[in-house]
Amino acid sequence: MGILSIIFIVAGLFFLIVAAIGVIRFPDVYSRSHAVSLTDSLGAFLMLVGIALHEGLSINMLKILVVLILLYILNPVIAHATVRAALRSGLKPWQKGDS
Amino acid sequence: MTLFVFWILLSASFDWIHLSLGLACSFAVAWLNSGHSPFAPKFRLWLRVSLYLPWLFYKIVQSSLHLSKLILHPALPIDPQMISVETKLNHHAAVVLLGNSITLTPGTITAEVDRNHLIVHAMDKVSKEDVTSKQMELKIADIFRDEKPDL
Repeated sequence: MGILSIIFIVAGLFFLIVAAIGVIRFPDVYSRSHAVSLTDSLGAFLMLVGIALHEGLSINMLKILVVLILLYILNPVIAHATVRAALRSGLKPWQKGDS
Repeated sequence: MTLFVFWILLSASFDWIHLSLGLACSFAVAWLNSGHSPFAPKFRLWLRVSLYLPWLFYKIVQSSLHLSKLILHPALPIDPQMISVETKLNHHAAVVLLGNSITLTPGTITAEVDRNHLIVHAMDKVSKEDVTSKQMELKIADIFRDEKPDL
């Protein structure tokens, strides 16, 4: 159980690092928000599963499950709100061929 | 009832004061909000939605791996573009579910929704295919096939 949870947490950390690199490398708000959504969908998911396994079968595991469900509901809403705000304020998306 | 279960989950203490306080609070909140709740549980619908979620999760993992590959690729081979999609869904909840599913899969983000017209920002050709292939839309239309259209 301990080893399994460590594997999950390390995999989650890997995706969090990849997402951070993506935020730096991508050219504009729109594509950067894709990288941020990678954080939530896999990085935080694997981290939380790892922590839940580490915690074992207890009330804390249920709490982590609630956090996970809320995260998956809230993440697309926030990403959508950010991108829509950028679009409505007239920011042009970066296209292939721009510097 | 649901609120009370939620209270127990969060407080995690089973002594007399906590339980009675939680019961009183959840009744008060339920009573205050009873006037304007359009939410009526439909078990058939929820069953279908919960059957849809594992497939969605599989797509999320698949496209996450694809996006990670794009990020770590030295040449950064991205080709972001805005695409607009018409859907045939005629349900508020169905359009919301479609928009959220598109946003939840990395590589595609719903940027604007107007009734059944979506503007989607996609990262490259492969993520674009996810949206234009209509696979997701067909599954959602299948979930809502017995509901009364309200759009």
